[in-house]
Amino acid sequence: MKLETFSYLPELTAEQLERQISAIVGRELVVGIEFSTAPDPRDHYWTMWKLPLFGNADTGAVLAELEACRLAHPDAYIKLNGYDAVRQGQVVSFVAHRPERRV
Amino acid sequence: MFEAGVREYREIYWTPGYHPRETDILAAFRLIPQPDVAPEEAAAAVAAESSTATWTTVWTDYLTTLERYKARVYDLEPVPGRDNQYLAYIAYPMELFEEGSVTSMMASITGNVFGFKAIRALRLEDLRIPVAYVKTFQGPPNGIQIERDKLNKYGRPLLGATLKPKLGLSARNYGRACFELLAGGLDFTKDDENITSQPFMRWGDRFEFVMEAVRKAEQETGERKGHYLNVTAPDCGQMLERAEAARQLGAPIIMHDYLVGGFSAHQTLSHWCRRNGMLLHVHRALHAVIDRQKDHGIHFRVLAKWLRLAGGDHLHTGTVVGKLEGDRGTTLGVVDLLREDFVAADRSRGIYFDQEWASLPAVMPAASGGIHVWHMPALVDIFGDDSVLQFGGGSAGHPMGSRAGATANRVALEACVAARNEGRDLAAEGTQILEQAAQRSPELAAALDTWREIKFDFESVDTPDVMPA
Repeated sequence: MKLETFSYLPELTAEQLERQISAIVGRELVVGIEFSTAPDPRDHYWTMWKLPLFGNADTGAVLAELEACRLAHPDAYIKLNGYDAVRQGQVVSFVAHRPERRV
Repeated sequence: MFEAGVREYREIYWTPGYHPRETDILAAFRLIPQPDVAPEEAAAAVAAESSTATWTTVWTDYLTTLERYKARVYDLEPVPGRDNQYLAYIAYPMELFEEGSVTSMMASITGNVFGFKAIRALRLEDLRIPVAYVKTFQGPPNGIQIERDKLNKYGRPLLGATLKPKLGLSARNYGRACFELLAGGLDFTKDDENITSQPFMRWGDRFEFVMEAVRKAEQETGERKGHYLNVTAPDCGQMLERAEAARQLGAPIIMHDYLVGGFSAHQTLSHWCRRNGMLLHVHRALHAVIDRQKDHGIHFRVLAKWLRLAGGDHLHTGTVVGKLEGDRGTTLGVVDLLREDFVAADRSRGIYFDQEWASLPAVMPAASGGIHVWHMPALVDIFGDDSVLQFGGGSAGHPMGSRAGATANRVALEACVAARNEGRDLAAEGTQILEQAAQRSPELAAALDTWREIKFDFESVDTPDVMPA
């Protein structure tokens, strides 16, 4: 299973993931986290992990939520979205954690 | 009293003091008059013949109000560095054109005038379409954001490939070529423009095998996939029949060749796509006949603006770096006209007028033609995320086959996007980024070896004017 952007690269290291998140918050996009245990290419609505982090500019806060989601749902794929309110849509989205790559 | 005879065009159509109205359609023409014709007269002839006039006065002129309907030359300037060449600016009252019809606009503005004897050469460089007229068009059936939302692809350019050889594959073998590329990591495969429904592969067979390939690649990868099924057909009835068949097979996207098919056919299809939630990829065969010569014809930016009005979700724009013509600044100007909601005049990019699109959906530029994996950093840098990068030969030409070729391109793309997001300079560090990614990807390593020295360094034929400092 590939699952879109960055799925053809080796798993992002902790540092690489942090830099990708910095880029998202640096663009003032709103980060949202979603998870699913059965990803399907036609499923647009994974389960939301809390509300999107409105007004958050802190990379560490995003990493903390990702970790909390992973601990709560160890068998889930976890997706990171970046919402652009002006464009009214996601402009960034990639799977930031896969259960088979469990730490 | 009616006075028969011939008057100079400039008496009526040369109005240098005129301030264009917000609702006027404005045109910038590059004009070379015949040696013994004054530029004002040549420019006035263009305005006259593309609006109300003919060569002689006619009694029926007195039954209407020319002031209301005539086009006007409101400015004329010599082109710097060119002898006897001018830019003529002409304003057309909006009432001259039928609502929502590119065909109508095109017939008036590019009608007789291009063959006028008093003019040696004429090129339509740009058009300002007023918001009031823009709003009479549907525009792209979906637009960039809807396409991303439907296909669940974010934060990177999309990847495609035209199936090769262009002609002669059977439907089943064609579907195989399609499957290998999609399963290897491309988002889309594409019919070449000359694939319609020939004896070696009828459209119905192609559609069935290709859609099997699309579905199977989706199951294997967990990603949405598509193939641009070309529905360009001998007549509109058959065009719509093919579009409907594609819809019933579950295809997310179809394709039309808008210039050879013609704008009326194209708008018919574009409206059908909006009604049916179908994405529309647009090819531009014929364009270089019309747009390549600097002194005569129609610039591609005008053909691109017409396409945004008529409607399309992807349009080929050139690659800057590949095998096909296209100056960098000019190409990026066209890309902006397709993607942005407002584009400011910028003569260095050949954009003569501000253009407001008033929320008309955006068109994704497709870069295709002689590009390979070494071009990836430059392509991501030049085109950004909202583009489709198409590697036909650059995928199927891979020494390990199509699937590996597709994977090589996908790995290269994602490595470039990840590096860009991390703040690295793709223009300066491209080679390093690719070689680093190739250490973990044998497919990319083989692709880099195969196309290391392949470049297409020729000077552009169509370049912007040299502007005085």
